[in-house]
Amino acid sequence: MRILRSLEVWKMGTVNYLDALKLQEKLVADRKTSKIADTVLSLQHPPTYTLGKRRTDHNLLIPESELKKIGAELCYTQRGGDITFHGPHQAILYPIISLRDIGIGARNYVEKLELTMIELASLYGVRACAGQKGETGVWVGERKIGAIGVRISYGITSHGLAFNIDPDLSYFKHIVPCGIADKEVTSLRKETDSMLPTEEVIQEQLISCFARLFGYSNLIWKEKGSILSDNGENR
Amino acid sequence: MACSRMMWATRAATYLRISVPFTLRVRGFSSVLKDLKYADSHEWVKVDGISATIGITDHAQDHLGDVVYVELPEVGASISQGSSFGAVESVKATSDVYSPVSGKVIEVNEELNSSPGLINASPYENGWIIKVEMSDKDETNKLMDSDQYSKFCEEEDAKH
Repeated sequence: MRILRSLEVWKMGTVNYLDALKLQEKLVADRKTSKIADTVLSLQHPPTYTLGKRRTDHNLLIPESELKKIGAELCYTQRGGDITFHGPHQAILYPIISLRDIGIGARNYVEKLELTMIELASLYGVRACAGQKGETGVWVGERKIGAIGVRISYGITSHGLAFNIDPDLSYFKHIVPCGIADKEVTSLRKETDSMLPTEEVIQEQLISCFARLFGYSNLIWKEKGSILSDNGENR
Repeated sequence: MACSRMMWATRAATYLRISVPFTLRVRGFSSVLKDLKYADSHEWVKVDGISATIGITDHAQDHLGDVVYVELPEVGASISQGSSFGAVESVKATSDVYSPVSGKVIEVNEELNSSPGLINASPYENGWIIKVEMSDKDETNKLMDSDQYSKFCEEEDAKH
């Protein structure tokens, strides 16, 4: 008998990186005590460079003091993975799900995140594939179109994936993306001649691919654009 | 189906009392050592007097993928049963590791700093992570033995 698996989808618009991080920490704690069901945050960030637990800041090629001039921030996190860039027109999913409930581990989870982006790319005729060993992520030939960085705590996931719809790729010149030198970064816009629908549509398609790959049959969509002002802060 | 073949193989091995000195390896299953205790978060503990050696199981390392980084605690740190004492990174995912027992960290496996892959290659021997001076030996009663842990892994893997 197939159990009906529910996924709550939060459509959040553009969210400051640290605000999203604090929200994820709260949601992970809530998911751990089963206060909430499996949830996925769908959002974009303003220009932000982020580092993982290993703090590979040698892969940031400009001084931190220069970041403000190019309109970007730098954030340190506990996720896996190397340095990356997040910015407008890059679709981000942060699944807060219990891997123990579905009986999978990190490797299988990350493979499914890769497949999520590969499937989305294929909707636009783009042939993407998972990285070689040690190069987790999604590639079109030698060009990276999607990045992954995950944290797993008590079997609950946070952070997730970032798929380049049409971000300003020049921001990637200031880092060695994901610590892999000599490989370009690309976007859906660059790789396809197809007409692209609105980003909202593409983000919904990304969520549908995710839900299908992870076996969620019941999606509960929530518009959470103003969630961060619910805590009494005026935005 | 592969699943029932594996279950048959385990039952056959137990019935025939195949006792290999340290490991019971059945094709398709991760190895589980008989003289260790196991937590449901897939860490093992080997008790020796009041000293305990801790690592992650073969099942855990297989599900993680190639470990590229290990975050170790400080020697002297206090840890408690069920709480996180460090983390491992694999496939761009950091996964917390939890202590099966409470006590004080007396040694950490420094080899893991230069060779994190030891966790994959030798999860029960050279890939040990920390040694702890236990504060309460009876805590191990709450852990699983090798048979219980094998069954636990089977059930978890059958979920998907």
